[in-house]
Amino acid sequence: MSNYKTTVGIEVHAELKTKTKIFSDSANHYGKMANTCTNVIDLGYPGTLPTMNEEVIHLGLRAALVLNCEINKHMHFDRKNYFYPDNPKNYQITQNRTPIGVNGYVEIDTENGKKKIRIHDIHIEEDTCKSIHADKKSMLDYNRAGVPLVEIVTEADMNSAEEAVKYLEKLRELLLYADVSDCKIEEGSMRCDCNVSVSKTDKLNTKVEVKNIGSISNVGVAIKYEEERQIALYEKGETFKEQTRRFDDKTMSTILMRVKETGNDYRYFPEPDIPFVDLTDEYIKETKENLPMSAEQRREVYKEAGINDINVEKIIQNRNISDYLNKFIKKINLVIASNLLLGDIAAYLNKTEMNLDQTKLTDEKFEDVVNYLDSGKINSKIFKEILDDVMESNDSIDKILDNHNIKQMGEDEVIDIINTVIENNPQSVQDYKNGNERAIKFLMGQIMKETKGNANPQMVTDKLTELLNK
Amino acid sequence: MKKLSKEEVLHVAHLARINLEDEEIERYANDLGKLLEDIDKIKDIKGYDDEMMISPVEYNSDLRPDVEGKMLDYKTAMKNVPHSTGNFVEVPVMLNE
Repeated sequence: MSNYKTTVGIEVHAELKTKTKIFSDSANHYGKMANTCTNVIDLGYPGTLPTMNEEVIHLGLRAALVLNCEINKHMHFDRKNYFYPDNPKNYQITQNRTPIGVNGYVEIDTENGKKKIRIHDIHIEEDTCKSIHADKKSMLDYNRAGVPLVEIVTEADMNSAEEAVKYLEKLRELLLYADVSDCKIEEGSMRCDCNVSVSKTDKLNTKVEVKNIGSISNVGVAIKYEEERQIALYEKGETFKEQTRRFDDKTMSTILMRVKETGNDYRYFPEPDIPFVDLTDEYIKETKENLPMSAEQRREVYKEAGINDINVEKIIQNRNISDYLNKFIKKINLVIASNLLLGDIAAYLNKTEMNLDQTKLTDEKFEDVVNYLDSGKINSKIFKEILDDVMESNDSIDKILDNHNIKQMGEDEVIDIINTVIENNPQSVQDYKNGNERAIKFLMGQIMKETKGNANPQMVTDKLTELLNK
Repeated sequence: MKKLSKEEVLHVAHLARINLEDEEIERYANDLGKLLEDIDKIKDIKGYDDEMMISPVEYNSDLRPDVEGKMLDYKTAMKNVPHSTGNFVEVPVMLNE
């Protein structure tokens, strides 16, 4: 098995986050009642004409830029002709000859270091309607017909299921953080098709396209399944034709759909109803300069602020948390802020099944809480105690602390207690002076007991050390 | 005169999902052949390889702002639909999906 080399190329369709469809002003809404978001253009009525949505060009350009593509400044659209009820015009409007971006790349981390997965092209096109298949009939929902897409086609640069999964994770992150697409595979706003072949030599063998894979991890499963299936056929001395298979998540296997028609059968020709779209250098520059902060840039900021790698990845996995945290960059201690957001606050949101914006946690309260924890005015135990009120009441943090009868002791009061503890424990003081580091922990414990946890631990440590060393 | 083979005619017919009688195949073989001859003449025109003209108008696309407009109400949208199930348009089962 190991003497076969696997080659994988991937096509991803990502729906663009626009308010309206690509060629008509009907709504681009997911989850609405079937066939309620359409107009005569989406339904392909004779005599209707497409009009290009400017936001589609904008998001398509952003996607091409984050994929490091060369931009096609003078582009047009093409008709891809096929007879099928999922597209009532009998052709799909796409970009065949002048894709918005070409020759890009996505960089992934592999066992052998960084690897560039080359992007052949990224083109803009319209989605087809959604079809649900029953035994003897298919049911069609045209709400999806005309939803804008970008299709991103790689070169056959991946050599394992793991590399394919890494590429898809990276691609998803790039598109998600560029605000191009919400990339929800389960809702179909990101769909992956893989071309897989295996060969004992450098010459590529017959490829198999696998469609209908419902998650990034299942892309890995599908590729591994295909590797084994194709190798078994070659080992038996069999060959096969280029074909399309679909992934079946019940059996975790691939099932033959059809032997492929050739590209020529689509009879592409330029779409005469949409004149050229020209992108000026100024527009491209402006779009590039205004790209939203990428995941990679966010990682750098978080790491620089001292957040550990595990938490950085947890934040990046959750765009809402990342966006929230970004409001406080250079204002508060991001380590404490991220610990709260990933720890107690996340647990609270989980428990109450709420989002952050449904709570009463204002930016001001969050800043106060983080600053109080940072200065030692409160500790994490106290924060846990007041958490529900922080999230549910309109009171300020000071008011909440008052309501809980929590007050932090002043410096003088703390010094008095430290002096009393030092007087009452001469042996421990002597032990400390003799170099026994554990003695100071005992003294700290005594002080915290006396202060009933109402003293700032950092201040206690500082003052105790100072007084012991006098 | 140029003439398409029977297989070529049947292939084109299949792409359009239409069935042809034998006499129709013969007729289309001739008609489509004639059409291809005419297209060859167009290819001979000087300037054929110049930048492709994709539209009869020379100005660029006017882009439309991303603002929602009026949509068809469900009943109007479904008016020409011969068969439906619930809110869905119903068609004979689509193979090859």
